[in-house]
Amino acid sequence: MTLTLLILTWALPLAGAIVPWLGARARVIGIAATAGGAGSLAAAVTLAVRMLSGHPIERLDGFVYLDSLSAFFVVTVALVVTLAGLGSYSYLRAEEERGELSPLQVRLYGTSFALFAALMIAALETGNLGLLWVLIEASTLASAVLVALEARASSLEAAWKYIIISSFGVTIALVGTLFVYYSAASLRMSPDQRLTWPSLFAHAGALQAPSLRFAFLLVLVGYGTKVGLAPMHTWLPDAHSEAPSPASAMLSAALLNTGMYAIIRFQALTAAVLGRYANDVLLVFGFASILVGALFMIGCGNFKRLFAYSSIEHMGVIAVGLGFGGALGIYGALLQVLTHAIGKSVLFLTSGEVVLRYRTRTASEVRGLLSLTPVVGLALLLGSLAILGSPPFGVFLSEFTIVRASFTGPASWLGFLLLALLVTAFIAFARTTTGMVFGRPSGEAVIERAATSRVAAAPLLAGLGLLLVLGIWIPAGLNDLIMHSIRLIP
Amino acid sequence: MNSSGMILLNLLSVLILLCAFACLGSKLFDRYLTYYALQSVLLSAACAVVAYYLDAPALWVLAVLTMLIKGVGIPVTARRYLVARLSLKRDAAITLGLSTSLIVGAVLTGIAYFAMRPSTLPARLLDTAAVPLAMAVVLLGSLCMVVRRHTIAQLIGWLILENGVFLAAITLVASFPFIVEAGIFLDLVAGVLIMLTLVSGLALRLASTSASELRGLRG
Repeated sequence: MTLTLLILTWALPLAGAIVPWLGARARVIGIAATAGGAGSLAAAVTLAVRMLSGHPIERLDGFVYLDSLSAFFVVTVALVVTLAGLGSYSYLRAEEERGELSPLQVRLYGTSFALFAALMIAALETGNLGLLWVLIEASTLASAVLVALEARASSLEAAWKYIIISSFGVTIALVGTLFVYYSAASLRMSPDQRLTWPSLFAHAGALQAPSLRFAFLLVLVGYGTKVGLAPMHTWLPDAHSEAPSPASAMLSAALLNTGMYAIIRFQALTAAVLGRYANDVLLVFGFASILVGALFMIGCGNFKRLFAYSSIEHMGVIAVGLGFGGALGIYGALLQVLTHAIGKSVLFLTSGEVVLRYRTRTASEVRGLLSLTPVVGLALLLGSLAILGSPPFGVFLSEFTIVRASFTGPASWLGFLLLALLVTAFIAFARTTTGMVFGRPSGEAVIERAATSRVAAAPLLAGLGLLLVLGIWIPAGLNDLIMHSIRLIP
Repeated sequence: MNSSGMILLNLLSVLILLCAFACLGSKLFDRYLTYYALQSVLLSAACAVVAYYLDAPALWVLAVLTMLIKGVGIPVTARRYLVARLSLKRDAAITLGLSTSLIVGAVLTGIAYFAMRPSTLPARLLDTAAVPLAMAVVLLGSLCMVVRRHTIAQLIGWLILENGVFLAAITLVASFPFIVEAGIFLDLVAGVLIMLTLVSGLALRLASTSASELRGLRG
């Protein structure tokens, strides 16, 4: 029964890959994507509830493996897929009506979206490092189609940059995986067991330290490329700004988290042998990412790039939370994974609505959203406030927890540094988005003042509502799930 | 594995490293592909040597696949569809002089030897001497990607890096279960990259981000 549920979490989104080739048009493809995401979310939540009481699921020599940490990430990704599925519905319909996308492009979108979602969820549900590597690399290929979909010269270039840099990273991650495998060489285990989380954790103390240390560095650089940790982040702003907006939401809120999941696992493995070594490395990469994200946000004219830099900054915050460690730091980091995913989905879907009306990604050409299209304007305003960590939204709570962890950490000046960087990011980000929301609508801009459809508004309002709830009250189940996950990370 | 197998493997590893150096010191697209094909054939031979001495069927599969896909398939496709069709000859988009990049390459090889000296490596290695060579190939491939701005040159840099990873894989851990799948997968990625370059006519310096220039070059 649990195994069926587990298969459903990735099979339901995957079913959407076939729908476009049965002659379906944009409407049906959008509905299939949303339904797949919603079904997957329901299955994931059920699984997560079972994880609270039961034991981890381990089948097929660990090729299928789920514990509370992976269940938490599956819930997050499935939630993002649902929101992005709704966004895809309105994106595909609008672009099909205008004739911007050919039927083939619509089909390609549907198939790649489904594959991308299913591969990411499957990657979270395997205990085998080799399979994890294959699935994450495969998700790169599926998502690269989405980045290149609109077939402008710039989007093709972004897709090229995305694939070549990610492939570089993932190849490095393969070397890291080799060294993890090698660190277990002296143990009496079958080749497959030496590549499986549960059996590696069971023997964590006996792993060879030198090759594990080397492995962690390689894996962090490798999967860190996927996560967008500085200085391996350079593909991220291009890919996020060129992809269709629902796909950007998937990249930012689901793919980056999948990479982060892999890093958390390797960190936990390394911590058993090398103590705080992994934490210190994560702190360095995390602070570098926050710095890069915050600095590039200043004077960034393209609002989708702005959101992308904000993703780099948030991934940095998560890495810093993990780096400080302790129950407080990890709790904050995991909560941040969820809240950032919801907030960034809302922001990228909002940016899709803006791009649809203004046909531009330049922030200075967009003015007075609040008076022209109140729903989109409100979503952008509240979404920005939420992602920047203003109360009463969920991100405030998670960032606050991480800042608290930083003051209890090894050096309190790191806490002040973190605060200063967050404030810089706040000012840079809010300056651009408030200009778009308020301001006087310029007369020259050709704006199609079509009212926001209910379907387009649904994911925005749902996401904001969720963030509001998470800012005020964390459900007991979610709290338990995170607490269970913390126990898996030493 | 006996000593003659070891000597053969070391010899092949050194030749693989030399191919990477040859590629780094060249300016012609044709040569890049020739050196890459030669390197892949040598890698396939190294793979066969390990497979023969350890009697590992998976490595035989990998040796044949490497020969067919990397030794013949990718170089021939790239030559016919990219270099010939786009009539590319000389790579002008190199940010570092050839002799300088060779010196940097030599330094990187030294670093690989320093980082991978036997005392830092775990015990019971198949071949201690080949691991630093493999790491040097990985570093040289990365260097190719960094100093060259042309998409095809970057692609070849990545392919060299990948060869280095596989050399490391067969010498470090011959029993690694995912090696064949990983190989097929990375070849798939290479195929996608070649297709993307071909379809988009993206054969230009990546350094220029101007969209108008991109459109101008489209066939």
